[in-house]
Amino acid sequence: MLSGKGFSKVYNLSGGIKAWKKEVAVGPEDTGLYLFSGEASAEEVIVTGFGLEMGLRDFYLSMQANVSRDAARSLFGKLAAIELNHEERLVDLYKEVTGNALTLQEFAKKIAEPSMEGGLTTEEYLQRYKIDKESELEILSLAMAIEAQALDLYSRAAEKSKDDATRRVLQQIAADERSHIARLAAFLDEQQALV
Amino acid sequence: MKWMQFFTPVASINWEEANKLVDEHADEVIFLDVRQPGEYEGGHLPGAKLLPLGDLDNRLGELDSNKHIVIY
Repeated sequence: MLSGKGFSKVYNLSGGIKAWKKEVAVGPEDTGLYLFSGEASAEEVIVTGFGLEMGLRDFYLSMQANVSRDAARSLFGKLAAIELNHEERLVDLYKEVTGNALTLQEFAKKIAEPSMEGGLTTEEYLQRYKIDKESELEILSLAMAIEAQALDLYSRAAEKSKDDATRRVLQQIAADERSHIARLAAFLDEQQALV
Repeated sequence: MKWMQFFTPVASINWEEANKLVDEHADEVIFLDVRQPGEYEGGHLPGAKLLPLGDLDNRLGELDSNKHIVIY
């Protein structure tokens, strides 16, 4: 059907989603999209993205306070620190887009309320992925699932955006999320090698 | 799978090749989920576009024909 209508680079994913060996995202097409209106400006979506990173960082810090094994505590601390890097990346992107250089602290004041990355709530993540929160491997799997959900949300928001500059920013954030997943995957492989 | 007849003959790629395509072309790759919304909801490739097979013909205009399209 596609190949006969001007589409020349069409591929069939062999085995379909069942053969997919990486994270999947869940939920209907509009999951979390209330966070990004189709009319949002590039600046607004960066601020929203920052709120999502903050929300995830808070989540990791609260998990860190609720585990007893040192290794798990340390890993949640690392994941929280990674989110701080992501926040800095968004501050840089904000400067690129608007020309305004703000510090992380100044930027944080723009955030009305931190949201949970990927558009699901903390409770929803914990219910969906019933992890052993003392296990490093399970913690990392949860982190990757959250990043996959975030990649999915930003991609869907980009698709719905009516503004070219906003769409490009959302695609850029989605690309960043993709690289976060790759880094977490490498980290997970290292951990698995140690087990 | 019934929808196969509509897409063959097209190249088949496995999940590793699909990932390589994304590494090399990033935003130029669209994962197209042609299943039903309920199946999409239960789990889909991050960033995939849902376009159920029954709607495909009427909604082809939503797809950029210059991009790589990976269908599942």
